[in-house]
Amino acid sequence: MIEYIEYVLMLTTVLGAVIALIQRDLLKAAILTGIPGASLAFLYQFLLAPDVALTQAIVGSAIVPVFFALAVLRTRRMEE
Amino acid sequence: MVLSAQLFSFFTAGSLIVIGIFAALFLDNLIKKIIGLAFIGDGVNLFIITMGYKPGGIVYIFLPNMTISNFAQTASYPLPFALVLTSIVIGASTLAVMLGLVIVLNKRHDSLSASKILGDERD
Amino acid sequence: MDPFIPIMVILPIASALFLNLLHKNDRTVKILAIVTALVLPIIPLLTGYGSHYFGGYAPLSQNSAIAQGLPSLITGTQLFIFHPAITYVFASAQKVMIFILGIVAFFAVFTALNETKKPSGVYAFLMFMGTASVIAILLSDDIFNLYVFFEIAALAQVGIVIASNVKHNYETALKYVILGNIAGPLLLLGIALLLGVTGNVNITDIIYSIKHGLVNPQNPVLLMALGLITFGWLYGSGLPPFHTIKSALYSKALPHGAALIQAFTVFMMVALGVIILRIFSYLPFSKMAIIAVSLLALVLSITMAIVQTDFKRILGYLALGELGYIGIGLGLGTTLGITAGLFQAVNEAIITAFLFIGFGTVLYKTRTSDTRKLGGMMFKNPRVALLVLLAGLAMAGVPPLNAFQSKLMLIQASLQAGVPELGIIMILLSIVTFMTFMKAFYTIYMRPKPPELVIHDYKIPKATIISLVAFLIICLILGLFPQIATSNLQTLASSLV
Repeated sequence: MIEYIEYVLMLTTVLGAVIALIQRDLLKAAILTGIPGASLAFLYQFLLAPDVALTQAIVGSAIVPVFFALAVLRTRRMEE
Repeated sequence: MVLSAQLFSFFTAGSLIVIGIFAALFLDNLIKKIIGLAFIGDGVNLFIITMGYKPGGIVYIFLPNMTISNFAQTASYPLPFALVLTSIVIGASTLAVMLGLVIVLNKRHDSLSASKILGDERD
Repeated sequence: MDPFIPIMVILPIASALFLNLLHKNDRTVKILAIVTALVLPIIPLLTGYGSHYFGGYAPLSQNSAIAQGLPSLITGTQLFIFHPAITYVFASAQKVMIFILGIVAFFAVFTALNETKKPSGVYAFLMFMGTASVIAILLSDDIFNLYVFFEIAALAQVGIVIASNVKHNYETALKYVILGNIAGPLLLLGIALLLGVTGNVNITDIIYSIKHGLVNPQNPVLLMALGLITFGWLYGSGLPPFHTIKSALYSKALPHGAALIQAFTVFMMVALGVIILRIFSYLPFSKMAIIAVSLLALVLSITMAIVQTDFKRILGYLALGELGYIGIGLGLGTTLGITAGLFQAVNEAIITAFLFIGFGTVLYKTRTSDTRKLGGMMFKNPRVALLVLLAGLAMAGVPPLNAFQSKLMLIQASLQAGVPELGIIMILLSIVTFMTFMKAFYTIYMRPKPPELVIHDYKIPKATIISLVAFLIICLILGLFPQIATSNLQTLASSLV
């Protein structure tokens, strides 16, 4: 089963991206951008790039979603 | 497997770029547009990482018990990975600039709709 | 290895960071900014030609200490001559272009500090950061390093527009960043494809790999890389389809900011265009594509300029139209053509800075840039009007000013290359440019003053007049002695053919 984990991660990356974009609630969309970010971080680990994986784990799954969430909280929550 | 992990990874990168460009061009909400732009950057990064990947290879760290020729034959190519580190940081910083602009524009127009804010050409 | 080569980039960045920290200490900001800006054009004159390898990692062939103990697996192959470090190359063409960029940056900073009531450390930070990144783009022989500074330059331009406090500047800035975030990653993708095919990011090594058959030059992936890098080039230099957003960017910046942004655009276009030529010139249609895009830029930008009513917008479009001449020069692909294109780039940076700062005095005195509301400015300050008129004549290519020499060279080059049609189009569009400029000049300066126009009684700062006169002197010098610039630019041009 373990050899399929890369494919699962690739699938969650694409699906996470699509799901984040179809939300009407922007806060949900902002938090959901963390899914592709975190999947990419794991994927980088499997693609033999551990140092990039560390950076991506911090930036992609924590900083970027927090930026988006802050921007949404300071503007408006629902897509008009 | 029929498809190798590397090929599949290229497809993933491609679809992230396409999804991102679609969102950036056709979605009206500015936050969604910017989420799309972040995905374009992620896709390109994944593409570069996949290029450096070597199927069945090892991480490019030279450990004391390795020989040089063995290391050279099996290690993945580290140059693209070094580039991606910079690229991730650049992406995050431009994202911050865009979100800052969106916050200001929302205050002025009381809207996040691109067609309302950016649509008509004013002088 | 000359230690001054990296200083050209490091000094403005370091000074920019200090200026940002010192914001609100008005005197310190002013002194530091002026001193740094003054040093900027001087450094390239003092620097010796050569390459700088960051970290000191010269190619193994020049590094005998390391090369001695290595197996023949490495010394016997191309790895022996490849560049392991980020390489900056400083040659005569870079000297001229960095000098001119430094001059424009100096006068832009100088007028900015004197026209605004309080000197802003943040604004100076953005100006220096942009200048540093464009200098790095000109110097860099490493295509990824170039991409990094390309992004920084784009952000600095956006910052200059955000800081301008002109109406609707935020909208334009956001549009520009959004487009930049599509074009930037696509440029990176093109670089990634080159890296994937050749395994290298150093431009000299990429060319070596292509020329010496290490990779198949007809590989379709290289074509795709050409397309993507060209897309990034179009964005960076505001060629169509990005001419509308780029001219909007000029019109939303303050005059000195616009002058500097235009200099960035010109040199970014030259640097990336030269790289495209260096890597891909063996593909026959790469030059055709450059000429096609440049012609499109000429025609579209100049026709758009005719219908505008905002003089900053008119200037923006005219400046972008001038970029077309540079592109045609590069696309002709002969030594004379490329020299003429590079010379035109140098002239263009000076002349548009001259025009933007000159017309900026109108904005300074009336707070409006709408030509329909303006008029009669000639009688308030005839000296500035004369200077602006001379700038317009310089742009149109009237002897003895500098653009005459470069346009003449361009037309000669097009005749020599067997495409006289291009020469005719260039002459015609030059006339249209001049007419558009004269129309704007007439409505702003010569027709009677509309009764509702309020001309404020601010005195135009001495710094602005000094800058305008200095630009005029440079135009005259380059116009009378073009060989100062062309002899330096020719080396690069002949290496590209």
